[in-house]
Amino acid sequence: MPYDPHPNHEGFLNSVGSPIQHRFNPHTDNGGTTLAIAGKDFCLVAGDTRQSEGYSINTRYAPKVHELSNGSVLATSGMYADSVNLVLNIETRLEWYKHKHNKTMSATASAQMLMTVLYQKRFFPYYVFNILGGVDEKGEGCVFSYDPVGCYRRETYQAHGSSAALIQPFLDNQCGAKHQNIKEELLTLDQAMKITKDAFASATERDIYTGDYLEIFVIKKSGVTKHKFDLKKD
Amino acid sequence: MFLTRSEYDRGVNTFSPEGRLFQVEYALEAIKLGSTTVGIQSSHGVVLAVEKRVTSTLMEASSVEKLVQIDKHLGCAMSGLVADARTMIDHARIEAQNHWFTYDENVKVESVTQSICELALRFGESADGGEAKMSRPFGIALLIAGVDENGPQLYVFSETYNLNRFFYHKVSCRSVSIEGFFLGTYTQYDAKAIGSGSEGAQTELQEQYHKSLTLKEAQSLALKVLKQVMEEKLNVSNVQVATVTVQDGFRILNEAELAETVNSLA
Repeated sequence: MPYDPHPNHEGFLNSVGSPIQHRFNPHTDNGGTTLAIAGKDFCLVAGDTRQSEGYSINTRYAPKVHELSNGSVLATSGMYADSVNLVLNIETRLEWYKHKHNKTMSATASAQMLMTVLYQKRFFPYYVFNILGGVDEKGEGCVFSYDPVGCYRRETYQAHGSSAALIQPFLDNQCGAKHQNIKEELLTLDQAMKITKDAFASATERDIYTGDYLEIFVIKKSGVTKHKFDLKKD
Repeated sequence: MFLTRSEYDRGVNTFSPEGRLFQVEYALEAIKLGSTTVGIQSSHGVVLAVEKRVTSTLMEASSVEKLVQIDKHLGCAMSGLVADARTMIDHARIEAQNHWFTYDENVKVESVTQSICELALRFGESADGGEAKMSRPFGIALLIAGVDENGPQLYVFSETYNLNRFFYHKVSCRSVSIEGFFLGTYTQYDAKAIGSGSEGAQTELQEQYHKSLTLKEAQSLALKVLKQVMEEKLNVSNVQVATVTVQDGFRILNEAELAETVNSLA
């Protein structure tokens, strides 16, 4: 028998006589999709901009891909409010690091730091699925993929969010050369851009939580460039 | 002079009218009693050399520990009240491990030195609610050696140096005067001696040091300088040498390696 705090149900019954659950759920899923692909000397991080709540669209433009002050880019899908808070938290730490150590945090260092930040909230997590993209010490593109409690791994490509199940197998095939009789090779920037745009266009057709606009960030040693494209708004 | 002093040298948190903290200055005297310790930076790595005072033939010389590791790429040599150094080294080790855990990278030599300095301020009563770590100033000087992205580096930590308090500075012989005032900042040096024989040793370093020293030459120089200021005859059991290099990190020389360097001096 599960624990019942009100055994006689007095005052806790609805019109048909079944108990009403009074419980606050602090987490919500605002939908949206993010993706990142690492190349030889670049990293591409992308995300749509739709923000949903159930069957409603809150806004068509709420960017979930954030350029950080250390030159890395953080793609956040899941709960928008948590992601705003998380980015603020990370930015503060980047600034403090700069003051304390007199240098900007490397992409790999910020990847490890993001893990500790997420795990510190292990029992009330940021409901955010992160992908961190950047350029590592060798100048090579790097993608780090996280779960909400900080378990992370370096990948060469990754999709997260409401259309992850649609896009990830496509990336497995196109970036990972899965089910193809060819050797896996890192994509060129051109190829990565094309694949990203196709992936989001197709995901928008099938997933009601993905659409409106697509933002693509390209990170190179020389800096970050941002591109914006239209997606279907229906 | 001593009369005026006695009024203001009781508490660690009372300035004298001339703006001095006598207890902090007395800590310097404690450091001056310490055994001589030499640190030399070369482009290939940093060398630390310490004198071990073996006061009895029954004493096990290898149990005297004055060179310690802080992290794989960091080490330190101490002079003064060695027991005081324990707290600081513990602190530095934790700082280094914390940094590695949080950022997956080696902590910078400068950062770890800075954190030691922060600890050094935490004596006496605490004002900001932070816990006081010590009832008096730390009577210790440290040579902190390490390698990071800026290459091999040597820092000196001392609670007080002449009239200056709580500073750390990067050591080099090129500085105009080692007896000058360092006001809360750090100055670049390449070689430094601390402890009882430091004055003579520093003069010697000033003359002998040059930029293109190899690691082996730096080792010989460090021992040569120690030899000159030590009261006892230098041998393998009353000195200890450590190196910090990019390849091997912090490493204390074993007896055979030490013997080789010692023999090459004669």
